[in-house]
Amino acid sequence: MNFIESFISALTSLFINKMRSLLTMLGIIIGIAAVIMITSIGQGFQASINNEFSRMGALGLQVSMKYDEELTAHDILTLADAELIRTHPNVADIAPYALINGKVRLKNPSETANIYYIGTNEAFSNVQGLDIKEGRFLLPADLDNTASVIVIDANLAKKLFGRTDVIGNTLSAAFSFGNLDLTIIGVYNALNLNSAMFQMPAIAYIPITTWQKISGSEYLENIFVNVADKSSIERTAMEISKLLSLSHATENKYNVENLLQQIDSINNVLGSITAFVSLVAAISLFVGGIGVMNIMLVTVTERTYEIGIRKSLGATNGNIRFQFLVEAIILTAIGGIIGIILGYYGGFALGSIIGITPVVSVPSVLLIVFISSALGIIFGVYPAGKAAKLDPIEALRHA
Amino acid sequence: MIIETQNLVKTYRLGRYEVRALRGINFQANMGDFVAIMGASGSGKSTMMNIIGCLDTLSSGKYYLEGKDVSKIEGKQLAAIRNKKMGFVFQTFNLLPTISAEKNVELPMIYAGVSKRRRKMAALEALERVGIAERAHHKPNELSGGQKQRVAIARALVNKPPILLADEPTGNLDSASGDIIMEIFQSLNKEGVTVILVTHEREIALKTDRIVTFKDGLLINDEKIKALNS
Repeated sequence: MNFIESFISALTSLFINKMRSLLTMLGIIIGIAAVIMITSIGQGFQASINNEFSRMGALGLQVSMKYDEELTAHDILTLADAELIRTHPNVADIAPYALINGKVRLKNPSETANIYYIGTNEAFSNVQGLDIKEGRFLLPADLDNTASVIVIDANLAKKLFGRTDVIGNTLSAAFSFGNLDLTIIGVYNALNLNSAMFQMPAIAYIPITTWQKISGSEYLENIFVNVADKSSIERTAMEISKLLSLSHATENKYNVENLLQQIDSINNVLGSITAFVSLVAAISLFVGGIGVMNIMLVTVTERTYEIGIRKSLGATNGNIRFQFLVEAIILTAIGGIIGIILGYYGGFALGSIIGITPVVSVPSVLLIVFISSALGIIFGVYPAGKAAKLDPIEALRHA
Repeated sequence: MIIETQNLVKTYRLGRYEVRALRGINFQANMGDFVAIMGASGSGKSTMMNIIGCLDTLSSGKYYLEGKDVSKIEGKQLAAIRNKKMGFVFQTFNLLPTISAEKNVELPMIYAGVSKRRRKMAALEALERVGIAERAHHKPNELSGGQKQRVAIARALVNKPPILLADEPTGNLDSASGDIIMEIFQSLNKEGVTVILVTHEREIALKTDRIVTFKDGLLINDEKIKALNS
């Protein structure tokens, strides 16, 4: 009995028990669809984060204070430190980073939005890879003049004015210590990290000098550093740390972090979460497989008489085993295919709800196809073996 | 001699008891014989039939099929013997209910590895041979008892086996249908097929050439009908 015969015969008998076959497949369908959905959403989330990070441009070093150490006013990072870092031979560019939050009144005057005002310099646009849509970013002259200018993101522009070509308009910023009118000189496209899971607040950029005037503080939260030679980035980080310690006459109070490494660790965490949730989904796949085995055992019992007839006509144990194995494999394979299709579209459906474009990778789909066929074999072997071992005379009594 | 058994014994275990279904049978059949095995139920006649048909294995003694010692054969080769040397006809027809008469007749050829086209031709030919070709595409539940049994005979002879074994083939049929079945057996026998049938009806047995009688697991009588008739 060749494969095609077994295949046709298996399809026929599965078709005779349509409802049962469908319900049995359902376990596999749900299991596979769940695994595909979860892995594609997980990979999609990872990909979107990586994509946004790569849009940030050349990633370098981030200098900050160690807040868990005992810090004195003498230790805070200032523009002087930024200029000091600039003297390191491997430093291509630096951008200070100071943050203050405030509110702004929206187009609909009863609504306000929270904004983070970041004081920085002209290099920030390159260091963080801002995508300028309208106008320009800060210029050295803005810093020199302590200009009352601001660069806002396109989403905020829409909320404020209902459009994005708003260069020259004035934005009234409200801080805890008063108000300030700022002229919009640029609009940038915000990173698309917003999703149903978390909302990024609006971020606007002003000259660091203006920022210092508003806040009356010299304190910098971070100093971003672009290095010239990436291969020696770790060494440069250590040297910057030493440089700062020397100038502040202190020890071990500054972090110089490699942002690339941070992305790696974010990826690791996301990967682990995806793997864990996929494992949970895989349990449902396993349960589906047990369902297949269960129904195959029922089928073998029900068709004992048929097995007796076939054996009396010359079917070998191998023929019978193969016939039932093929049935189990077809059940799981069809279930697997439907599951893949449902998982694929389910992933996109779920993705559109939570704002993530799922990534369906070919290797993971192939792996799933392999797993679902393997399930057919694993959970079909026992029932098929049971069928094969039936004694023909005993089996013929089940008429 | 196509079939020969020497001191054939078959015992079953039924829980604590050992049941001796056959207690030393010496039986021979020549090519082209037409034999009826008679006996009350529990006499061992069906067990004998199953062993001859290689559906069951013997406990001790010898069974030679075409001179080959079958008691030593097992598994795959037994299946091959059932497929090529034996045609089975059962009281309950034993047709697969979900497929057509023609597909049922094709089954032994599937296991013999015959190509699809030749299977279909041979199946129709066999159905023609038993006079039921026009019902080829009907499923068993659309056929009468006599028609079902004719499909079963077509299936039994489609691989052209030298031996046809029938276990109470007329048991579930009215006498007219039973007569048709017996006529088919007689004509197959004339073509040289060795036919062995189990029955408990003397009228049926009388249509064969030889009656072998079983009682309590023993062969107690072996008579030639033709000799009796002539």
